[in-house]
Amino acid sequence: MNRAIIVDHLVKNFEVVERKGGLIGAISSVISPKKKTVHALKDVSFSIQPGELVGFIGPNGAGKTTTLKILSGLLYPTSGFTQILEFDPWERRPEFLKQISLVMGQKNQLWWDLPAIETFELNRAIYEIPKRDYNENLKELVGLLGVEKFLHIQVRRLSLGQRMRLELIAALLHKPKILFLDEPTIGLDLIAQKTLREFIYDYNKKYEATILLTSHNMDDVVDLARRVIVIDEGRILFDGILEELVSRYAKEKIIKVYLSKEDDIKRIETIGKVKRLAFPQVILSVPRSTVAIAAAELLQNFPIEDLTIEEPPIEEIIRKVFRGGIKPKNLPK
Amino acid sequence: MNKYLSIFKISFQQEFVYRLNFIMWRVRNVLQIFLIFFLWDTIFSDPGRVVFGYDRAKILTYIFGLAIMKAIVTSSRTIDVAGEISDGKLSNYLLKPVSYFKYWFTRDIASKSLNLIFAVFEVNILYFILKPPFFFQTDPFLLVLFLVSLLGGVLLYFFLLFIFDMFAMWYPEQGWGPIFFLFIFVEFLGGGLFPIDILPAAIQRGLYLTPFPYLYFIPLQIYLGKLGILESLQAVLVGGVWIVVSGFTLKKLWQAGLLVYKSEGR
Amino acid sequence: MKSLLRYINIWWLMSKNSFVSVFYSKLSLTLFLIAKTLRFLFFFVFIFFLLKGTNSLAGYNLNQTVFFFLTFNLVDITAQFLYREVYRFRPQVISGGLDLTLTKPISPLFRSLMGGADVIDLITIPPLIYAIFYVGRMLNPSLLHATYYLLLIVNGLLIATAFHIAVLGLGIITLEIDHTIMIYRDVTNLGRFPVDIYKQPLQGILTFLVPVGIMITLPAKALMGLVSPIGVFSSFLVGVAAVFLSIQFWNFALTKYTSASS
Repeated sequence: MNRAIIVDHLVKNFEVVERKGGLIGAISSVISPKKKTVHALKDVSFSIQPGELVGFIGPNGAGKTTTLKILSGLLYPTSGFTQILEFDPWERRPEFLKQISLVMGQKNQLWWDLPAIETFELNRAIYEIPKRDYNENLKELVGLLGVEKFLHIQVRRLSLGQRMRLELIAALLHKPKILFLDEPTIGLDLIAQKTLREFIYDYNKKYEATILLTSHNMDDVVDLARRVIVIDEGRILFDGILEELVSRYAKEKIIKVYLSKEDDIKRIETIGKVKRLAFPQVILSVPRSTVAIAAAELLQNFPIEDLTIEEPPIEEIIRKVFRGGIKPKNLPK
Repeated sequence: MNKYLSIFKISFQQEFVYRLNFIMWRVRNVLQIFLIFFLWDTIFSDPGRVVFGYDRAKILTYIFGLAIMKAIVTSSRTIDVAGEISDGKLSNYLLKPVSYFKYWFTRDIASKSLNLIFAVFEVNILYFILKPPFFFQTDPFLLVLFLVSLLGGVLLYFFLLFIFDMFAMWYPEQGWGPIFFLFIFVEFLGGGLFPIDILPAAIQRGLYLTPFPYLYFIPLQIYLGKLGILESLQAVLVGGVWIVVSGFTLKKLWQAGLLVYKSEGR
Repeated sequence: MKSLLRYINIWWLMSKNSFVSVFYSKLSLTLFLIAKTLRFLFFFVFIFFLLKGTNSLAGYNLNQTVFFFLTFNLVDITAQFLYREVYRFRPQVISGGLDLTLTKPISPLFRSLMGGADVIDLITIPPLIYAIFYVGRMLNPSLLHATYYLLLIVNGLLIATAFHIAVLGLGIITLEIDHTIMIYRDVTNLGRFPVDIYKQPLQGILTFLVPVGIMITLPAKALMGLVSPIGVFSSFLVGVAAVFLSIQFWNFALTKYTSASS
């Protein structure tokens, strides 16, 4: 088997009821409700090899979560073909389910009022994990994520970071070959994010698990994914190496500057394009290749209190990409 | 099998977490029995009185039997299904190699076990306080039919409840309405407040065409010997038909529901 | 006075929101209406057949028993109409929504008690009032007794209010119980029939300790001329005292509030 995940011309539509405001609107919607079709996925195709760690990125509402849900068998596609490990996800065969895992940031599977270990035992029975494997896996995961102390405390009493780590263990006890991670670092502090990222990286390397990860967090994508698939408004805009995406479409970098005293805006404009001006903060964008020179010039010639160099926000790259009107498919060799 | 034992275990544990809550739930059940008991006790305060073929002994036996039947048949966690569908928790279970129906049925059994233990305890206490007459069935055929119809009632209630939970697939924010609707029918048409046979014969015949009497009324009637063996067998069969019909309906609704399930909540 | 008008205005706005959200849920609206109506009708039919067979219940005839039942419904449903929000209180406390309520410049008690008027119950009230008129007239009450009835209905609502406030207070103090309000309903359901049917000590408990008797049975009895002026007066004492005590309890409960964690 050379491809773990195959998606071909996937389409997904949702029917939504439109609501009008106010009392009159409410009563009229009782009599004649208006329905609207939302085209969440318009034509999505890609394939993923076993062991790849792919970043699946796009703005809010782009269709990332919808895609993951279809791949894990939760949603029924309107049309198109999906195959995972040679199974049709919609059939939700036990043999298929035992090999996948979907981790969604806010959705818990741990029983709230009981210690996490109870949920783990339950999952062991559900996934029919042999006792020896279960003990080994548990020990390893608990060690990697450092949650030994929290196993026997009621889940409701733990902090978000602790809970997320335990949720992850619950999702990985059965050593899934395919891992879908939907915004795994959402709501976590920076250290927890980093720990989680390292864990995901190690897991991918050690078990050759295929991982499809969605995130709004640029660091997640940059640190983990070599290959990214960019989706916006239900279509794939880019599918390739991350460096190529950035270098191809982010021609600029952002310099954020804090002035210690007011200065002439026109002078600053000679260095780069001013995107935002709200004293004492000025945000500039400069071409990527000359950012170091621009920064040096700013520091030399202007009353600067603080200066940072940043990547443009991912949404900007994507919006820019879309405006450029590129071809929807761009597969690596 | 191990799977479901594990589910039973964790479900049982879960009930114990909110002990006080569970006890208050039992208090509620006792209060409901009080209402019915005192009502009928007052009606039959004249010991020789016979109303609709029931005398004091029979009606009080009915009420106490009812308490146990209800604890077995209607104590259920399955009403939580609508909530799980609404908030998207269903997704967690769809992702796992476990049958959602067997999962919930196992949870129900765990809940029923705990409720039954308490109900027996309560009934014993109430027995000593209120001293109603109680009737022990000795006919082995009737006992067997009683057990079969009771198990049938358990299964039928499970299916009916699940069917009304399914509304949440199409109307995620309105999960409670359909279940409330079902409860009213079960309570009144199922013999919860009064024995069905105090109603006029024509109405009774109509009722026996619905599934509700087969939940706990018919099992109780069989136990009390109000129906002969042949009639009991007939009743069990009709109950069986309802089980098949509701089971089939549930399967169809489930398949249709999954197609529209949006897995909202995230 | 201005404060009262402000609160009435806010109540109207909150209730409007509550009503609107019900109309969006057609299915719920229909099912609840039908189910509530059926619940009433089923029980009514039961009483009818019961009294046909027995002729009297604890000394009351069919019309009187029906009237007790109707009175129960009036107090019960009006309380549900006004205080439906109490049923949503516990999820608010757990999710931390109560924090948001507490930080607003409006009485949190008012918000938690009356913030979600139930339009479905409201719809069922006019037919109920009509039925009460109809059956009540058949009992031929004097003007005085009818007045007592109305006064004691108001008093019954006072006691119901006290109960709901106490439930709210309890909901802050302990998260252990998720259905305190349902316990209240089960207890008041005992009032569907005149409390005379219950033997002592239950009857005593229901009359004096958990005053369901005063709340529901007494107004109906007053219409039938069975209650003295002193009885009416002392009932009001109970009602007012109950409200007062329950508000004290609520204030106490607030001091014990521990905000939910994230």
